[in-house]
Formats: sequence, C-alpha cells, structure tokens
Amino acid sequence: MQNTTIVETHSLSKRYGNGVLAVDSVDMSVRRGEVYGFLGPNGAGKTTTLRMLVGLIKPTSGTATVAGHAPGSPAGLARIGALIEGPGFYPYLSGRENLKVVADLASVPLRRVEEVLDIVELASRAGRKFGTYSTGMKQRLGVAAALLKDPDLLILDEPTNGLDPQGMAEMRKLITDIGQGDRTVLVSSHLLGEVEQVCDRVGVISNGRLVRQSTVRELIGEEGVLVRAQPMDAAQDLLTRMFGPRVVSRRDGALHLDTRPDRSMEINRMLTSAGVGVSELRPYERSLEEVFFQLTGEKQGS
Amino acid sequence: MIATIKSEWRKSRFRPAFLVGAALIAGLTVLAFSANWYMATHPGSADHPVLLSSLYPVHFVANVLGAGFPLGAAMAIVLGAIFAGSEYSWGTLKTVLTQGPGRLTSWVGRVVVFVAWMGIMTVVLFVVGGAYSAVIALFQNQTISWPELETIAKGFGVIWLVFAVNGAIGMVLGVVIKQSAAALGIGLVYLLAVEVIAVRFIDSLSNGAFKWIGDLFVGQNAGALISSITPPPVAPSIGAEQALAVLAAYFVALLFIAGGLIRMRDVT
Repeated sequence: MQNTTIVETHSLSKRYGNGVLAVDSVDMSVRRGEVYGFLGPNGAGKTTTLRMLVGLIKPTSGTATVAGHAPGSPAGLARIGALIEGPGFYPYLSGRENLKVVADLASVPLRRVEEVLDIVELASRAGRKFGTYSTGMKQRLGVAAALLKDPDLLILDEPTNGLDPQGMAEMRKLITDIGQGDRTVLVSSHLLGEVEQVCDRVGVISNGRLVRQSTVRELIGEEGVLVRAQPMDAAQDLLTRMFGPRVVSRRDGALHLDTRPDRSMEINRMLTSAGVGVSELRPYERSLEEVFFQLTGEKQGS
Repeated sequence: MIATIKSEWRKSRFRPAFLVGAALIAGLTVLAFSANWYMATHPGSADHPVLLSSLYPVHFVANVLGAGFPLGAAMAIVLGAIFAGSEYSWGTLKTVLTQGPGRLTSWVGRVVVFVAWMGIMTVVLFVVGGAYSAVIALFQNQTISWPELETIAKGFGVIWLVFAVNGAIGMVLGVVIKQSAAALGIGLVYLLAVEVIAVRFIDSLSNGAFKWIGDLFVGQNAGALISSITPPPVAPSIGAEQALAVLAAYFVALLFIAGGLIRMRDVT
C-alpha cells in the first residue's frame, strides 16, 4: 500500500547558535496530492522548518521524512522542487540559461526547460538577463526551476512575497494549476486570503510551534458567539472574567467570543443576572483570519 | 559529479568576472612587456637597465612568470573570493544544494571548474606573453627562437599552481565570510601586505632562528618555485621540491576546510 503522507515530522526542533528556538517540536503531516498551506506570522518559524525539510538546515532534534527519505538526501531531493525564501539565480545569465544551469545540476533533459517556461508563461522573456527581471518574473522563474524535476512535492516559501495584487492573483492561479493531479504542494505564507483560496489543509505555526493542523473547512467551520449588549463595557468585563481575554474581542460594535455556541444560554443568564441588557446573542462562523489571530495570539489590525 | 561540473561550467563560461580577469591578465602582460621594451630601448630611463635580449621569445617564460606573480596571484584571490562568496550573496547556494547532488559533490565540481579557469588564465598569460615577445623580436629584426618545451611546461605548471593556490585562498575566504567583497579585500591585504610584513618580522627574530616558519608562507614558496624555473642571482632558501609540496598542501588543506564548512554549516 502506498504511503499517504509525503512529509512527516516528529518533534522537529531547531535552536540556532544564538540560543533562539526557531522551531519547537513540530509534528507536521502533509498528505500526497494536497495543497498544504503553512501559515504563520513573520518570524514564526515557517522558513526554518522548510529549510530543514530540504536539508539546508540540520535540525537540533527530532526527525523528518520527505518523499520517503531523510531531508537533504539526493534520492529525496530528486523528487522535490523547492523555492525557499525567494529565487536565487545568477544575475548575469538569462532566465533560460539559469534554468539550464539548474537542469544540468539536477540531471534533467534541457528540453524540460522550455516546458516549464511555458507553464509559468515566461518563455517570451526567458532570453533576458535575470538581473533585469521584475519581482514577479523572478518569482515565476523560481517556480519554473522548482518544476524542472517534475517533482512529487513542490515546496514554495512565500511565493507571493513582493508581488503586486495582479501578480499575487497570477501566482495563486499558478499554484492551483500546479496542484492539480497527484502533485503535492506545500506553500508557506503569512497571507490568509492566499492560503484560504488555494489550500486543502493548513498548518498554523506560531512562535515555532505548530498550533493547529486541519482542513481549511474545519478551521473556518468552528463557530463562535456574537453578543450585542448594553452597557457594552460592563458586558465585556463580565465575559472577559468568565472566559479570559484571549476568547473575547470587540469589533464592529459587537463582542465576539471564540467559544462553542452551546454556551449561549449560560452567557445570557450571566449577563442578565448582572443587569446587562442583551439585544443580540447568536452563533457566527469565524473567518480564517479570526482563527489565525486567535491561534497565533496576534492582534488583528496590528 | 559530471552533472555538477557541467552545471558549474555552464554558469562560469561567460561569467563577467572571469572574462574581465582574463582580459586583465592579458593587459598586465602587455603592459609589463611594453614598459620593459621602452626601458630597454631608452637607456637611462630606469634605475635598473633592461636588456633587450631578455624580452625575446627565448626568455618569454621568465617574463610571464614575473607578470603572473604576485599580480596574477592577486587576481586569482579576487576571482576565488567572487566565485565562492557570490553564491551566498545571490542566494544561489540554496538553489544548488536543493537539486540533488550532495554538498561535497557540488563543492568538488565547483573547484574543478575554478581550477580549469585558472588554467585558462595561465594559457592567456603564456599566449599573450609569447606573442608579444615574438612581436618585439620581429620589430628588432631578430630571429625567433623559443625556449625548450620542458621549460614552457614547467613554467606553465608553476603559474597554474600558484594561481590555483591563491584562488583557493580567495575561495575559502568567500566560504568563511559568506560574501565576496570582504573576502577579496582580506585576501588582497593578506597577499600584498600581511604576509610580507609577517615574513620579514619572523625572519628577523633571533638572528633568523625562526626563518623556517617564514618559509612556510604561500608567497615565499610561490616565489621559490618560480625562481626554480628562472634562477635569480641569489638562490632562495627554499628548494623547488619543498615549495611544490608546501603549495600543494596549502591547496588541498584550504579546499578541504572550505568543503568541510559547506558540508557542516546550515544554509540560512
């Protein structure tokens, strides 16, 4: 029976020489054929984790299996295409020549270069020097290089970084197209909309720890409770005392509680017994953004 | 390994730094020959008179060796530092290391191509030097006679080794510092100042009791090996065999250290 996971980590950790614990006991599992979003704020440990998966960084502890092999092993790398922290190419060579350099290194036939240039729609500009490329073209060339080996697993680290809205939309479409069929795409991002639109499952990392791993539907599907009451400040104080400050947030003239809707009766009873008038009390579906901010402890709008 | 060498050659064959380096070597050779030709034909224009006959093809090996060290060696350090250091500053090391060949295989491939480029620079040096000496002989209505093939081969081998060892200094600095600008700066300061001062200081200690330490420096051995091809009036204290062994040891040790760093260090 074929293994259903293509990336699996157990207690994967990385502590840098300066003592910073960048990745802390990450247990991550990416299934074959899915588009997996690796979500987290800047500095959360996404790039360090991805670097460990392709063997650029050695873990301090823990294990990882990528495409059936240890990270960085030639056999494993032969089945992985990666774009890690921006495209790295030779500025004095054309886009096409840069791809040929990578193709030689990966022992890929040179005819594949034209195929991937077509996929990323860069064929007409492939003769220009890489140093003259726009950010979007550079990112596309990075994706093209990652596709050269026709890999089972494509790892893209923040592929929309530095792109304008149109470039981001094009990149999202490209990722969706690439992710069709059996190929697995592991894409990291701090952009929630991007992940929500292209990914089947997500892993949320915060301060080096993987705080959640599930499908986007499961993550968004978790409901909360919306409360409108008078006086609002008193209601917020009471609910904060009851649930804690991380559960209660106030926006758009309402209180949003990240708790199960079946606690609505309890909330209503507590507020009315304290003399607070409740005008609206109902379940609501949270956005991925809200879930993300709750999981990572980040403040919205910050 | 073949794949790595092929890839390294593809990215290096039109690399501006190497093309400029080869052009500079050619220019330096032309400049050195031109200056000496002028001084030889204008007696009294220099403190040390230059014999016109010393510029003819039969002596061209001695002249190109003079152009090759230390100026050519300095260029080799610059090229080595750029070749290794730019992989970090351009972020291309991560691209290379995620393609499949192991880290040491990638490094060895890079070294092979770099040494080949040093060979090309040596060819340029010898071809331009030989051609210019022939031009001088023709202008002076002299018959052209070349040195023995063995002398040319020895001279070629010596300069190639000197370029390769100095290039290795640049490469190891590029790997250690992870960028090219500081690496080439440090390399040049070492070659043109630090080593000279250090050797003089060591040789002066206790009436030369520690001269053997000074005789272990790269520049001393490069000079001694060159002198073995074109003996100077005062023979150097280092024999040709010892100089060859020391330079070869430096070459292997430097590249081994750089390879070890590439294999062990995280690519961040």
